[in-house]
Order: sequence, then C-alpha cells, then structure tokens
Amino acid sequence: MQQINIHDALPTVFAGRERVPSQVWQCDLTMERGKRYLIVADSGTGKSSLCSYIYGYRRDFSGSIAFDGQDISSLSIGQWCEIRKTSLAYLPQEMRLFPELTAMENIQLKNQLTHYKSEKEIIDLFGTLGIPEKVDTPVSRLSIGQQQRVAIIRTLCQPADFYLLDEPVSHLDTANNAIVGNLFAQEADKQGAAVIVTSVGNHLALDYDVELQL
Amino acid sequence: MKQLLWKLLRKHISPAQLIGFSIANLVGLTIVILAVQFYRDVKPVFSDEESFIRKDYLVITRSVSTAGAMVGDTGEFGDADIANIEAQPWCRKVGRFMNSEFSIFATIGLGNSGRAMRSQFFFEAIPTDFIDVTDAEWNFNPNQPEVPVIVSRDYLSLYNFGFAATQGLPRISEGQVGMIPLSFTLSGNGLNETMPGRIVGFSNRLNTVIVPEAFMKWANTRYGDGGTGHPLRLIVEVNSPGDVKIEQYMADHHYEVAGDKAQAGKANYFLTVIVSIVIAVGVVISLLSFFVLMLSIYLLLQKNTQRLRDLLLLGYSPAQVSRPYVLMVIAINAVVLILAVVLMLVGRSYYLPMLEAFDLPRVSVVVAVLTGVVIMTLITLGNVIAIRRKVASLWLLNA
Repeated sequence: MQQINIHDALPTVFAGRERVPSQVWQCDLTMERGKRYLIVADSGTGKSSLCSYIYGYRRDFSGSIAFDGQDISSLSIGQWCEIRKTSLAYLPQEMRLFPELTAMENIQLKNQLTHYKSEKEIIDLFGTLGIPEKVDTPVSRLSIGQQQRVAIIRTLCQPADFYLLDEPVSHLDTANNAIVGNLFAQEADKQGAAVIVTSVGNHLALDYDVELQL
Repeated sequence: MKQLLWKLLRKHISPAQLIGFSIANLVGLTIVILAVQFYRDVKPVFSDEESFIRKDYLVITRSVSTAGAMVGDTGEFGDADIANIEAQPWCRKVGRFMNSEFSIFATIGLGNSGRAMRSQFFFEAIPTDFIDVTDAEWNFNPNQPEVPVIVSRDYLSLYNFGFAATQGLPRISEGQVGMIPLSFTLSGNGLNETMPGRIVGFSNRLNTVIVPEAFMKWANTRYGDGGTGHPLRLIVEVNSPGDVKIEQYMADHHYEVAGDKAQAGKANYFLTVIVSIVIAVGVVISLLSFFVLMLSIYLLLQKNTQRLRDLLLLGYSPAQVSRPYVLMVIAINAVVLILAVVLMLVGRSYYLPMLEAFDLPRVSVVVAVLTGVVIMTLITLGNVIAIRRKVASLWLLNA
C-alpha cells in the first residue's frame, strides 16, 4: 500500500455542526508511505474514530477513505484480513490485550498469523522495553504501562506499510517513550513504512514530517 | 495457534448446557432411528409382498347363494365371465386355478421320532407366470418326480402353534421347512404312486397348496380325466389392487376377493401411523435440543463478543475465529450420533428375539443409520451456519 487518502470525511456524530476547524475532517488528506505523521487532537475530536475508520471496523462517517485509490468500503472481509496482517499495523489506544493470556501468548496470537518475528526477537524486545521478566506473566497482572509495552511489541510483529498508533505512549515515561520512538523509527525505516501517530499531549518521540491538527 | 485460540475462546463454555443438549439430542435421535429400524424390521409381518408371488393380484371366487346352489350353480367361472374380466381396463392378466382330480395323501415325517403325520390332501395350480420362483425350483420332471409346493402360511402356524405345542414337538421355522421329509401318494386310474415333495415357500394370500401347472397337467392326465373343468377360482393381475372400480365390478358381478389383504392393510396402516407418531416425537425432541444448543452457542458467543472482535482486529478471519466452536459442535454431534446408533443397536437386540417366531428376513440397519446421519448433518449445518453468521455480524462495530 502506497497511500491512504481521506476525502471529505466526517464522523456521523459531527454532522450538522458548524464547519469543524480541522486539518483532517472535511479535508482532502493523503498520507504516503515512508513519511511520519503526527495527528494532534483534543479529547472528543474523533481521534480514535479516525483510527477505527482507517482500520475498517467502523463505518459511521461520511466522505470516503481510499487505499491506493480503492475506496475501503468496497474491500472484502478477506482483503481486510490480509491488509491487517501485511499492510496496516494498528495499536489501539485501549490496547485490546487478552488479560487471561500471558504477555508472550498475546504477542504470539498475532505473530502466529504473520510469522514476522522469531521468539528470540520478541524476547529481545521485552528486554529493550525494560520488561524482560514479564514474558510469561498474565496480562491481567501487568501494570497499565507494562501492558502498553506488550501491545507495542505485538504491533511490531507484522510487516506494514503504515503503522497506525493511537496514543501509543500515553502511559509511558520519557525514557521509554524515546525507546518506543526509536523502535518504530527503525522498523519503519527498514520497511519504508509510514507511521501515523495520534496524541492528546504525550507525543511519541519521533521526527515527524507532517503535523496535523484534528 | 489453535491451542491459543482455543485457550481464549473456550472461556464461558458451559459443560452443563452442552451435556444437556447432548442428552436431549441423544434421546431424540435414538427414538427416531430406533423407530425407523423397528418399522423396517416389523414391516414384513404386515406386508403382503411375497418374494415368490407377484404382488398386484387378486384371487376371486363367485359367491354362491343357497338358492343358486339348489338350482345347480356350481360357482364356476365360465369362459364368458373370464373374457369379461380380461376386457376390463384394470385387468392385466387372468389365470385359472386348476384343481387336482385325483386322490392325494401327504406324509410328513416328524423328526427322529419315527412318527409320521399322514393326511388327505389337495393341490391347486396357477399359471407359472404368476409365480416368481426360479425355474429350477418350480419345475416338474416326470422321469424324476418330485413335487414342489407353495403352502399357505396358516398351515405352518397351525402346526407350530397348535400341533407342535400340544404334542411336545419342535417348532419349525420357515428356514427349516426344506428339511422336513415330505411325500405325496397319488392315486387314480388304478395307479397308486408315491413321490417326494418339497416346500419352496409359504404364502399369506393363497390359502391353499399350489403346485406347478406342468405337474398338475401331467398328474390330472395320469390319475384323472385330464382336468378340463371350469375353474372355481381365478387369479387376476391388476394395475392397482386398491382401485374402487375393481371393487365396484366385483360387487356388481357377485364376485368375492379372497385373502387377508384388507386386514394386513389396516395393520400396516396403523403400524405406519404409530411409527410416524414416534418418529415425530423424536424429531421434536431433536429440534428442541437443537434450539438448546443454538441458545447455548449464542450465549457463549455473546459472552465472548469482545474476544472475538479483538481477534478479528488482529487479522483473524471470521472463519478462523469460528473454527474452534464449529469443531466443538461437530465433535459433540458426532459423539451423539455414534451413541444414538449404539443405543439403537442395543434396543434392537431387545426386541429382535420377540420377532423371531415370525421368521422375518434380516433387514440391514443402513437406512436407520443413514437417517441419523442425515438428521445430525442437518443439525450440525444449522449450528455451523448460526456460528458463522453470528461471528460475521461482529465484523463491524456498530458505533
């Protein structure tokens, strides 16, 4: 996938409002592979909605979104599954980990679909992110910050053209923020992928090409 | 991957509900296939079909009134009567009964006791093309005389339930009947000859002793005057034995249709009705259990909605996510099916000995098992489709 185009999009709940002052909603925005985007938003401006529209699990918006010119509403379920395994990596704000599984099992659930990272690489990532002893701990017993790091590792376990990160470091300190920024920068550089990050304040530490106000 | 998915998705599975479904479905399915098997096992008792006589025929006689008898009406069918019947649209073929015109004694040896039963006897013959027995069994060779006979099944019952029971003699099944030493002594025209006989079958509907036409012609010539008289009985092959027009014709001409066809028909009808009711009950139980399983699965999917959604977001397809549940349902239903077949066989082993006296043909269990397989396949398909649809409905978050 080379580009994502968002054309005149607006969440249905915003319909009827005065023109929304935004560089995303009701605009024509194209995001390209290889670049880094920061979407800065206030609470309630539809940040997570935007991610869910792009990731294809909500359709309550007007306007259109297209991948390489193809309207995403025309994609089949099979195509979406493929995109979610190979092109579009998504880190939801609420992380969506399975609390009854261990950290490693959560990650393997994704990695077994993509076979992208070896077990050693995954364990190394636990080390890099400062939670090497948490590999076999059930997620329900991890702190929220630790959970966020597990979710980050899981997001890295797939090939991608676009990394879509919804507030990826909201629960992390500056040091870990820098580590995470570094990891995504490396991974994106390696694949020539784009990184799209949303933030309400705690930005992921990355050199952004474009900063947009939602 | 399978283990991880299963570890995740087995949460909220209720063994109690699944066992409840399995037992209910097992009961329903067992009732259905046992009823089907029982029907197939018992049907021949009430059936008119006989392997050695073609089925669509009637035996008719003329009813002779007392007044008629006094003026010399012998109850014979004249050539004109026969021609008239042959001209009817429902009639395919008419055969004449030929009577023996000589004296016959039958001798039946009774096991190893050395005793023998001897009785005056009679023969009748009908044209060979009404009889479905191989030529080898149903022929007569004057050089090596042996008389094949088809006997009314009533005679066997008479022997088994009347004679043998009171005399302490062994009962004889139809299969053993060929082993009974049987001979006929025929006399007439100054001759007195004995020849062996052989029972080739029993008939419910021909209440007489039937021998091959060839034998009868030979014997009537040898011991009698050639047998040219008019027949007292006719055998008529018809298009449809239940036809109202036939009934009307018989009534108009004062003919009587012989045989217990009507009785057997009624019993057969009630058997069918009763078995249908039992099968319906089984099907209803199966259907209810199907809904129990559906409810259980819906509840399960409902409780696991978030997990299923999150798996779809990870890139799992609805088919992959459904698979653990689909496999679970298939496994449960397969076990229920196997148990139902086992229970059916056990149940059958209880009632089969009761049917032994009727000496019924061995019926295979294939139809009953197939019925179970079809019902279970339908139930499983219903379950699988429901699971697939439910999971597919989770694809979009209805925000």
